[in-house]
Amino acid sequence: MIVNADTIETGACLWADVCIVGGGAAGIALALSLTGQGLKIVLLESGQAGEHAPTQALYAGEVADERLHSPPDKYRTRRMGGSTTIWGGRCVPFDPIDFEARGHVPYSGWPISYSDLLPFYPEANVLSEAGRFSYDADEALGPGASPMFRGFDSTTVRTNSLERFSCPTDFGKRYDKRLRLAPDIKVVLGANCTAIRLEAGGRAVEELDVTTLSGHYFKVAPRAAVLAMGGLETARLLLASDDVAHAGIGNEHDAVGRYYMCHIAGNVGTLTVRGTPDDVRHGYEMAPEGVYCRRRLSIAPEQQRRHGLANAVARLHFPRITDPRHRNGVLSGLFLVRRLISYEYGKRLNDGTATSPGLYARHLLNVMTDPVDTAAFLAHWVTRRTLAQRKYPSVILRNRTNRFSLEMHAEQMPNPNSRVTLSERYDALGMPQLRVDWRYGREDIESVDRTLQLIAQEFQSTGAGTLEYDRDRLEEDLMRFGAYGGHHIGTARMGTDVRTSVVNPDCQVHSVRNLFVAGSAVFPTSSQANPTLTLIALSLRLGKHLSRRLAPKPRVHMDLVAA
Amino acid sequence: MKILVLGGSGYIGSRLCAALAASGWATPVSASPRRVTPGIEHRRVDTRQLDSLTQALHGIDAVVNCVAGDANSIAHGAKALAEASLAADCPRIVHLSSMSVYGAQEGQLAEQAPLDPTMGWYAHAKCEAEQHMAAFAQAGGTVVTLRPGCVWGPGSHLWVGRVGRWLRAGRLGDLGAAGDGWSNLVHVDDICNAIIAALRAPLSEGQMRTYNLAAPDSPRWNEYFVDLALAIGAVPVRRISTLQLRVDGWVFGPMLKVAESAISRVSRLGHTVPDPISPGLVHLWDRHLRMDSRLAERELELKWTAYGVALRQSALWYLQSDGMPGTHRGTAVPVPPS
Repeated sequence: MIVNADTIETGACLWADVCIVGGGAAGIALALSLTGQGLKIVLLESGQAGEHAPTQALYAGEVADERLHSPPDKYRTRRMGGSTTIWGGRCVPFDPIDFEARGHVPYSGWPISYSDLLPFYPEANVLSEAGRFSYDADEALGPGASPMFRGFDSTTVRTNSLERFSCPTDFGKRYDKRLRLAPDIKVVLGANCTAIRLEAGGRAVEELDVTTLSGHYFKVAPRAAVLAMGGLETARLLLASDDVAHAGIGNEHDAVGRYYMCHIAGNVGTLTVRGTPDDVRHGYEMAPEGVYCRRRLSIAPEQQRRHGLANAVARLHFPRITDPRHRNGVLSGLFLVRRLISYEYGKRLNDGTATSPGLYARHLLNVMTDPVDTAAFLAHWVTRRTLAQRKYPSVILRNRTNRFSLEMHAEQMPNPNSRVTLSERYDALGMPQLRVDWRYGREDIESVDRTLQLIAQEFQSTGAGTLEYDRDRLEEDLMRFGAYGGHHIGTARMGTDVRTSVVNPDCQVHSVRNLFVAGSAVFPTSSQANPTLTLIALSLRLGKHLSRRLAPKPRVHMDLVAA
Repeated sequence: MKILVLGGSGYIGSRLCAALAASGWATPVSASPRRVTPGIEHRRVDTRQLDSLTQALHGIDAVVNCVAGDANSIAHGAKALAEASLAADCPRIVHLSSMSVYGAQEGQLAEQAPLDPTMGWYAHAKCEAEQHMAAFAQAGGTVVTLRPGCVWGPGSHLWVGRVGRWLRAGRLGDLGAAGDGWSNLVHVDDICNAIIAALRAPLSEGQMRTYNLAAPDSPRWNEYFVDLALAIGAVPVRRISTLQLRVDGWVFGPMLKVAESAISRVSRLGHTVPDPISPGLVHLWDRHLRMDSRLAERELELKWTAYGVALRQSALWYLQSDGMPGTHRGTAVPVPPS
């Protein structure tokens, strides 16, 4: 059932087997995986079914450098469904190498392996509405599918790994009815968890404090509590709950909030592919299940090890939008309407280029001299995106010249000095706000540089094309918009060494036996992949662990005993 | 042992007759207003007429009620059957009801759940029919009422044939939240096995048992639609918007239904009209009702056909008989949904 927190009597205490804090992708997946097993589940969601500005304002905070990281209330939404209400829907599993301890990636290595998570990926794919768990182009698209580049045969640079796209599915809306009907799930909207109360000694959660914006308050006493609040908010609540554990919960070794990672991303260089445009697959293909898929360039794992690279992918992208020299009407049109696009999706259209009447005039001229393409694009966009329930994932331009920029999306090396902390300011509920100090290192840029060199070499040696990029400008290209928005990783990382991690392989906070974390906060490393699919898979794995630990044992059938 | 199968020429009835004949345990007698299955004894019966039924029940040890049709055939037919069985001294009825007796209720439902006859004429007639069966038991008869979900398998025009055509026509696919309901699919062979077990169950006079029949591994509708589409090559599977589905159900549905009836009246081309998607179906696909069939599993000792096996058989049948260009396209039996 779904109720509003204001209907719960002030001062009441709800009892639950599992209390999940946060109704986003992680929390909803976990709740659904726990239903039907004789457990009583309470899911606390701060927001409502729709947008609510005062609730969203609870996310406000500060950033150490605004050029490097967007404000904390952007790229995440505090409402039922969480940030799946604004996500782009890209689904990619982590690679087996992501779980390995790699000498060239400091603090790398998960205490679980790819095969431990693999059983949960198919269901995560289903929940995300991304079709089958099949990320190899040959397998997913069938043997008849065209390669990314005709005549490019490399064992170093792979072109057949896929990303799949969710609708993008808003988990709150999509699973609303399942949650409402489940007799063992109680979703409480407008319920802000403001403190985790530990029992004396600090080894177990006793209660969670819950407050509403209208001043109601109550408690939840769970057998197990799960924080599924996103990578930033999880650290905030752990650090702010400091009455018993004075450094914050799980923070005995000052690891909570540290190792904060996003992704290193940006458009780089010019790839010129030999042959005709027909020989290149730069956009989306549709899998038989009707799901948009896209190929990308990646470096084979043995080459990553050999060359000491962090994981990364490159997609074929169009030229820099703000520069009218591309003479493309669609891109100029996007530039002209960029202020109408939401912060999250418009950010990379505002790259700090100084605007002037002349610049606008040149973009306008591009639109006017390219009317057919612009109109065709608009028609496609309206039918395939605006009106469609499964949305065309992004702007793809017709390839006329076989020239592309590379859109890089790279793993960021874990760094204890990249961190979030509590600020001196407080929100409307009296919770300290967050201060985000995201940092990247020279090694992050160098890894992308060497990745690009490998790609360039492979195109050169196979004769498939040429990649040119300005190495001196690489850092600027990758950091033009700062950290890739919305991927909040590593603030309560998983590990076996309590000095450098917060949760154990079961996602349980090391020092508190009934407190768990679901979400990308627990990722020890960030991979090339977007985090959502993997955090859902991890939530499902946590669900299995919790039901094994907490679910009542099935009663022995009396008939059998009698017989 | 002679078993009269009312509706013996229908989808379930004809398979049941074949299964009974093959069992060697009983001799089936098929009762229907038309069509005779070769090798099966046939009696022409009007199931709404007491006299006709009483006559047909002569020398019969048990009767299976698989009658489909309009409200009158279902409700009044059940009343006539109860009375005729008493008159003809036929001691046992196995009655095929439907999950639609649960109406709009959602969640996991076992047989004790209250009946809800408010979901249209079909549910109303099916609930009424169950009452007549209860009256027969009170009068000393033995009744086993079976409540199947959506009966599918090879030969199922209702849940394979027309679904496949809708998928190919792009009218059906992944429905998102609108297709999140449980399908409660159950293989036709499992229904036949349940009926035979019900005929053989050691029940005494005046006893009445009721069983839900839905395969425990039957998926949600979306999963079934995508799986069937992949199996019959109706790809890429389309994502159907709620708006499109509603327009198909509420606007085109009634229009197609009218067109089909009108054309059928004047010619044999009624089947050329695309199958209508009724508003009832749109509701069904969104209904989170999951039938709990553990009682049947226990007491009738049912072994369910695995979903994957049923899917392969159904897709093969579709491709052989229904989907090849130029072959006669079967028409859905005019029984309302669920």
